[in-house]
Amino acid sequence: MLQLTAPMMFLGPFVEEPSEPEGIDLLLPASSELIAGLLAFGIIFLFVWKWVLPMVDKRLEARQQAITGQLTAAETTKHEAESLLADYKQQLAKAREEANRIVEEARRAAEALRTDVVGKAGSEAESIVRKAHEEVAAERQRAAGAIRDEVASLSLDLARRVVGSSVDAKAQKKLVDQYIAELEELKA
Amino acid sequence: MEEIKGALALIGYGLAAIGPGVGIGIVVGNAIQAMARQPEAAGMARTTMFLGIAFTEALALIGFVLFFIA
Amino acid sequence: MKWRSRVLLLGLAVMAIAVAIYSTSIPEAHECDTAKEIICAPTNVVELFEHKEALFSMGPFDVTRTVFLIFLATLIVVAALYFAFRTPKIVPGKFGVVMESMVSFVRDDVAKGTIGPDGGRYAPYLLAVFLLVLVGNLFELLPLINFPITSRMAIPAMLAVFTWVIFVFVGFAKNGFAYVWGIIWPKSVPLGLRWLVGLIEFVSTFLLRPITLAVRLFANLVAGHLMLTLLLASGWLFFSSAGEIGARALIGVPWFAFGLLIFAFEFVVIVLQAYIFTLLSAVYIQTSVHPEH
Repeated sequence: MLQLTAPMMFLGPFVEEPSEPEGIDLLLPASSELIAGLLAFGIIFLFVWKWVLPMVDKRLEARQQAITGQLTAAETTKHEAESLLADYKQQLAKAREEANRIVEEARRAAEALRTDVVGKAGSEAESIVRKAHEEVAAERQRAAGAIRDEVASLSLDLARRVVGSSVDAKAQKKLVDQYIAELEELKA
Repeated sequence: MEEIKGALALIGYGLAAIGPGVGIGIVVGNAIQAMARQPEAAGMARTTMFLGIAFTEALALIGFVLFFIA
Repeated sequence: MKWRSRVLLLGLAVMAIAVAIYSTSIPEAHECDTAKEIICAPTNVVELFEHKEALFSMGPFDVTRTVFLIFLATLIVVAALYFAFRTPKIVPGKFGVVMESMVSFVRDDVAKGTIGPDGGRYAPYLLAVFLLVLVGNLFELLPLINFPITSRMAIPAMLAVFTWVIFVFVGFAKNGFAYVWGIIWPKSVPLGLRWLVGLIEFVSTFLLRPITLAVRLFANLVAGHLMLTLLLASGWLFFSSAGEIGARALIGVPWFAFGLLIFAFEFVVIVLQAYIFTLLSAVYIQTSVHPEH
């Protein structure tokens, strides 16, 4: 059963095969399969060596470059964003300050306006009151004058009617004035 | 005669498989212990475990070959 | 989420087809007497792996099914790499991410992680080995192929010999004759045992390393293919003869269930064996680059 002779070892597959396949046949490589295997492995090895690994290297390099580029881009973008943010913050602070100032100014202006208006209104009212007083006084004086004239003419008429003679108008008026003064004295 | 030979080959292979079986068990068990004790070195332990299994297995493989030859 | 469920459905469909093909692929199934046997073993295991009849011939070179599958694996690997790395895209698609992580895993974790900073020199070899072995292994579960080309000795043996040549060559190139002398006359061992340890080391380094490297891959895939065929086909044979054997057909249930379990487990084996083959190649090269470590 064990035909492990020298030609069998080296030329196993070429030796005339036994009619019944034996277990040892499994352990010896068949020559056609060896040739095919050599060819196959040669093709795969050359392909892997000359093409695949350089391609993988190239791809890894490209990826690394891409990542580095993206990182630098991200870095610059970040810097830009940071400076922009600082700018915005500064502007915001400035704007807030400005607004505060404007509001303060407006308040001050309003205050001034208010005191002004109030003062003006007070003085106007005062002047109106004073004018009214003056007018009233003038009116009273005028009325008093008119009454006095009326009384003088009335009394003159009366006296003329009573005396029946014309009295000197000048003397008459003098008399009336005297009379009224006496009246006033009396009243006082 | 032929059948007896086949049966003997079977028994021989069975005997040849005992040692490697026990050996692989020891290798894997100790590797698991090492991995549990030092999980950070698990990768190294695993590689070494496979190597140990491969070397231990060699005996069973020789038995396998003899089974076919005999 | 939608993408994931679609991939899951596709994977399940592929698995179902593969299981169906495995279930009906046992040779000389009619010889199995399901009324008496409790499992249907193939009458000759070797026939599951030997495909001697040529599909067509190229001159003296017969293209058998296995040879055809080897070339198909090459085509798949090259096409996958080509479509993944065709353009130097900065953001790769899903497929590109998978391929890229695979490449960087082999180059950075396996090659550089094991051998050291100058491990990148060996990355093309290790990557080619990893991809060829991975696709060759995956053929075990791909429907309509259902045959791992790494379960034929040719490819594991060839790759193991390549690894052997590389680590021996690198050992001599880096350390001169001190490389071999350091192995057969280890200074760290007491003088009395030195010759014995040296002999064991010599045999294990120069003889057992390539043999176990090749046989490990080969044996795992042979065992996987065999188990799948045996279990799934047994289950199917019992089910299909239910009309003749009645309740005995239930014997097929545990076989089929166990077969499905193994089918899922083979995914792990496939990836793990490709990884271990690559890792061990890297480790062997590393021991030549930096001996006495």
